[in-house]
Amino acid sequence: MRESGPIKQRQSGASSASIGVWAIGALAVLSSLALAALPGESAPAVRMWTFARLHKQLYDPIIATWPERTRPDIALLSFPALERRMLQGFLAESATADLIEAERKVAARAFMGPLESVGYVDLTDRLKSEGLLEQINTASFSPWSSRGRIFGLPHDVHPVMLGYRADLVEAAGIDVSTIETWDDFVREMAPLMSEKGEDGKPKRYLLNLWPDREDFIEVLLLQAGGGYFDEAERVRIATPVNAHVISTIVSWCYGPGRIAADATDFTASGNQLKAEGYVVADFMPDWMCNVWKNEIPQLKGKVKLMPLPAWTKGGRRTSVWGGTMLGIARTAPNQDELWSVAKRLYLSPELARSLYTEGDIITPVRSFWNDPVFDQPDAYFAGQRKGRAYINLAPDVPTRTSSPYNLLAKLRVQTAVIALATYAESTGRSRPDQLEERAMMLLQAAEDQVRAQVDRNVFLSQPSPTNASKTGGGA
Amino acid sequence: MSASPAATRWAPWVLLAPFLLISAIFLVYPIGQSIALSVQQTFGPAHSRFVGAANYRNVVADPLFWQAVRNTLLYTAGSMFVQLPLSLGLALLLDRPGLRGRTVLRTIFFAPVLVGVVFVAMIFGVMFEKRTGLVNQALHSALGWDLDFPWLQRYVVPALIVASLWQYVGFNMVYFLGALQNVRRELIEAATIDGAGAWRRFVHVIVPQIRPVATFIVLLSIVGSFQIFELPYVLLNGTAGPDNRGLTIVMYLYQMGFDQGDLGYASAVGWLLATILIGFTLVQRRFGGELPRRARA
Repeated sequence: MRESGPIKQRQSGASSASIGVWAIGALAVLSSLALAALPGESAPAVRMWTFARLHKQLYDPIIATWPERTRPDIALLSFPALERRMLQGFLAESATADLIEAERKVAARAFMGPLESVGYVDLTDRLKSEGLLEQINTASFSPWSSRGRIFGLPHDVHPVMLGYRADLVEAAGIDVSTIETWDDFVREMAPLMSEKGEDGKPKRYLLNLWPDREDFIEVLLLQAGGGYFDEAERVRIATPVNAHVISTIVSWCYGPGRIAADATDFTASGNQLKAEGYVVADFMPDWMCNVWKNEIPQLKGKVKLMPLPAWTKGGRRTSVWGGTMLGIARTAPNQDELWSVAKRLYLSPELARSLYTEGDIITPVRSFWNDPVFDQPDAYFAGQRKGRAYINLAPDVPTRTSSPYNLLAKLRVQTAVIALATYAESTGRSRPDQLEERAMMLLQAAEDQVRAQVDRNVFLSQPSPTNASKTGGGA
Repeated sequence: MSASPAATRWAPWVLLAPFLLISAIFLVYPIGQSIALSVQQTFGPAHSRFVGAANYRNVVADPLFWQAVRNTLLYTAGSMFVQLPLSLGLALLLDRPGLRGRTVLRTIFFAPVLVGVVFVAMIFGVMFEKRTGLVNQALHSALGWDLDFPWLQRYVVPALIVASLWQYVGFNMVYFLGALQNVRRELIEAATIDGAGAWRRFVHVIVPQIRPVATFIVLLSIVGSFQIFELPYVLLNGTAGPDNRGLTIVMYLYQMGFDQGDLGYASAVGWLLATILIGFTLVQRRFGGELPRRARA
């Protein structure tokens, strides 16, 4: 009798458990049936992904009046989420959005494999037959061109100017119109560094730049005609131009010729240093104007823009930084209709206008450059007509590579610049001419590393130099 | 009523089936696939080429991999030789008889573990900033330290060690404290009566008794240190830092697999990491006294 208690309990437990299991099973079946019976949401006709809140805010009012059949349903994804979903879709050939707006680094990931496996629709023939290659700024196609084919409609041009603290520069009696080259810049602006702080160091430096800023390094290399890949998308890092540029960068950051300091972008501390005038000038692609307006509003009316000083007299006065495209997913149905939607959105005059008024970004569509909106004075930039200033530089923007290895190359060159800086600091040899030989060695090491990585890719066959140069591909 | 022989024979398999099925799908198959992947180059499921041992050869020949190994070893050494002694010291402090506020102190030391790694990385990222960062500002006020001291440019691994020290010292302390509280008091008293000083009591009485727990913590610390990823990834804004000074083995794996899209190569890195960890575990267990005696012969 004493032993039967627990046994009974176990039996009753087992029996109630089986009832529970049946109940859960029944509920699962019923709820599944109920869900299956519910009317599903109708899928939108055109799905689009973007990573930029501003872009979505600009597109929504434009597409609001479109017929529902062609109106894209725009989803805002975080940068990494868009990258992952796009790649998963492309690699597994599964569904993605029909239209994907991708930034340069993300779009390049699609060019890693065989040409026939690029997840975006090849737009080359459509662009040619419709005359769009002539209508759009040529350099803007280069980041979306791989092995001679174009896979995206450009969103922007992103010329780079130099933003400078006009209040400080003008108070010192410096006339920036006399500055044509980087040598002029260093010489003319030098008085701004004469005031010293408690630690005996200058209270301000002329340029926001540091050897670990790979974006700035790329801006300066492209401006000088250098870069990481040639027109045929072959690795070309150890070149005399690149060696000269990185030697100059290091000479600006170390030694008696130091003019640069680090005020990191997109950080509170960097913004504080900019607001305090710790750095006088900064690299400003058009989109960066909007970042400054939002993040450092206290500088309104104190900042002006000037073309980048050239590396040599008569040289290029601008560079390029960033970029976005709109591509059509290869797995999407109705590609002709999607092409019409893409053109209607990206080539609309309303977008060109709002892109500038809301985002300070100039359109790559040349015919819109006459819009008077670009001639309006901008109060943040002390009344300068900055739209016109950027447009004047747009045709000179350098072409860039679309290589999926560009990021790797940027990081390897950054490593080379840091190593060169360490060398300059430890040896006291900080003049460009003293550094160039060492720079060449370090760049050669960087080139070997990148080439080893590229050569490992058995899918990326050597492109045809003729095709690549035709579309402006390559740096 | 007894069960039929057939039911008795099949019952264990039926009961084990869910575990075996899940293990096969989520453990055995992926492990097998990753081995297969490590000898291929792929571009999505549609394109793959057999490359034999080329991925392994290339990893071993890549100086960046060895830089990642060096950085990871430095970080691991920091964890082992700075963090663990500090954890043990704190545990000994809190284990002192008659200490007031032990619970409060234990909570304070343990609290950072509850903070997410991403949050810790962001906080320390701000603290280690040049000029405006709390660390340089405080050192400048106290010692006239250079405000431009480049923690996150040149001293990335020490910065990582400091950040993880703050987060995990209390975590390991709790393990040590648990072990110390199980040390037999009569042995300590006997040693004291025999004239042993504090150091000799610690070395000859306490350490042998906390050794199994210490062995476990060391192993945990090594494995955790070798797998470090989130802390440098967030602290260095998704990069390996200037001159790859914050590159760890898992970051290298991530860069190759997900930034460069070379999953086969990344699988090879993963297997090399697994080999290193297995090696460390065997060595550690050998010296921790957990392998059979004959293995020592």
